[in-house]
Amino acid sequence: MTRAQQTISIALLLSSLYLACFLGIVPFSPKIQDEIVPVIPFWALVTFGAYLLFKLGYGVFTFNDVPEAHKELMTQIQQARTELKAKGVDVGTD
Amino acid sequence: MLDRLVGLTMLIAASAVFLYYTIWTLFMPFVDEDHPLHTLFPPRVWAIRIPVILILLFTTVVGSFLSVVMIRSNRRKALKAKAKKAN
Repeated sequence: MTRAQQTISIALLLSSLYLACFLGIVPFSPKIQDEIVPVIPFWALVTFGAYLLFKLGYGVFTFNDVPEAHKELMTQIQQARTELKAKGVDVGTD
Repeated sequence: MLDRLVGLTMLIAASAVFLYYTIWTLFMPFVDEDHPLHTLFPPRVWAIRIPVILILLFTTVVGSFLSVVMIRSNRRKALKAKAKKAN
């Protein structure tokens, strides 16, 4: 089962469960049915967006500098520039 | 230093939005009408309107960007085909 199939099947399951609640097939108290159930998809969307933002912010917050990798990357860029320039490619200025 | 600040801001913003919106949509219906807590929240219709407006805005921006890029790319492809034909 691919990732897409898994995601689609879970989405379908949740959608059918929500549709059952929305159409009144599952009995709720009138207050919940009228005020909570219609709001659930929007709440899920906002929660999903907030979760993604949280995950992003946490990644940015905990990402430490990597000086050796930076040095290695800079030397590799320098090597690539010299090699390409020797072959006649316009590598621009630093 | 600055990037840690940006990350922290995103963390706090995400948590604040989630908390505020959850209390607004899922908890406020069960709070009595005359409780002072209601002064912190706008009328509940806005809990639906604001996400809908944001979704429409987002799809508009993404759609416009996509269309501009595709039109530009097609124009370039047509120019290239015309130049090739002329040769």
